[in-house]
Amino acid sequence: MTNKEKFQLVENYIVEHQNDYYRLAFSYVKNKENALDIIQDSIYKALNSIDRLEEERYIKTWFYRIVVNTAIDFIRKHGRMQAMDDDILHSLLPEQHNLEKDYDLYEAIDHLNEPYKTIIVLRFFEDLKIDEIAEIQSENSNTIKTRLYAALRKLRINMEEKVEL
Amino acid sequence: MKNLQDAKQKYEEIEIPEELNLIVKRSIKKAKRKQNKPFKQWGIGFVAAATLFITSVNVSPALAHSLASVPVVGSIVQVVTVQEIKIAEDNFSADITTPNVTGLENKELLQMLNDKYISENKALYESFQKKMEEMKVAGGGNYAVNADYEVVTDTDSLLVVANRNLEIMASGSESATYDNIDKEQELYITLPSLFKDDSYIQIISAYIKEEMQRQMANEEVVYFLEEDEDGFSSILSDQQFYITADNKLTISFDEYEVAPGYMGMVTFEIPTEVIRDILISDYYIK
Repeated sequence: MTNKEKFQLVENYIVEHQNDYYRLAFSYVKNKENALDIIQDSIYKALNSIDRLEEERYIKTWFYRIVVNTAIDFIRKHGRMQAMDDDILHSLLPEQHNLEKDYDLYEAIDHLNEPYKTIIVLRFFEDLKIDEIAEIQSENSNTIKTRLYAALRKLRINMEEKVEL
Repeated sequence: MKNLQDAKQKYEEIEIPEELNLIVKRSIKKAKRKQNKPFKQWGIGFVAAATLFITSVNVSPALAHSLASVPVVGSIVQVVTVQEIKIAEDNFSADITTPNVTGLENKELLQMLNDKYISENKALYESFQKKMEEMKVAGGGNYAVNADYEVVTDTDSLLVVANRNLEIMASGSESATYDNIDKEQELYITLPSLFKDDSYIQIISAYIKEEMQRQMANEEVVYFLEEDEDGFSSILSDQQFYITADNKLTISFDEYEVAPGYMGMVTFEIPTEVIRDILISDYYIK
């Protein structure tokens, strides 16, 4: 694959999946302008480091990794770190055995620390496979699985609820 | 919200802003320009322009702003920016740059070109304002126009100025017109004037169709061809074109004219063998 072919391939891929990546970026920063900035930055980074994409089949995980890292960097730089300590998590979540209807799981996921939040978002919202998340996070699959369980525990997801890992 | 399904649904409801598509396309375009090419040439142009024009800056401070963006100075015939209009409101923006050609002895040609640049951009600006007001009355929306120019070819004998327009509503659409000028003889070159008769329309169209098919077979590109509804069947007799510095004919299509939007504007360089027999001379095209 020449660089030109790669460029075209990546370009098409990004255009086709722009909405998915925008939602992912938005889930970190929670506002339109910053999410658009992240998308823009990610596209520059991707297209300027196209040499590092070795095979076509890695496009998806490669670009996810760029967007995730750009988003996390962005939050770090701009000090809008979403993650909070467990106290706040507790205030959002119901007591252990008291599953009230109106607790906000979506909100709670926002307050998870990294890498837990990213793993949950990629697995359940973006429907990626454990192996793909492992590639994005440069970890092995078992580590990701362990973290996913830990994240679900933190969120007190009822494991009997059909959660497919 | 009890379970992951509900949370996921909330995630999927994140609204996609209208300008996403445009920003994606722009970013790609920018990255592409950076990757590709001819900025070396431009750098030299900037330096040359800066030294040559020091005197005029001193004479006319009003000119100083425009000189910052003189693109290429190779001979006496030059292109400078005479006016730049910028408007930026919440969801509306206009950035219109008007070029001005100087140094041609042929005053009629000079005036024709410069009047055209001014009147086109005036019309663009007025239509922008009108549309903006209409949209404000209708409750908002996003609208932006961007007009810019670029010296595509500048040799001892040829000058080609491209005027690019980008209009953005829900998604962007980019278009360009080119002015091909013979600097020596001070002539405005039109597409028909290059050829002996009208057969160029058919010959060039056939070549472009073949080339589209070839590219689609080998690369990840898409063109609208005849088989599609509204596909490409023929160039216009006055299709936009420009002559490159190495005397090749290049045909240009606006965004969406012959290809999906993500392909942007597309151009085809026509090999001179294809048209040699029908050219009036090999003076411009070699």
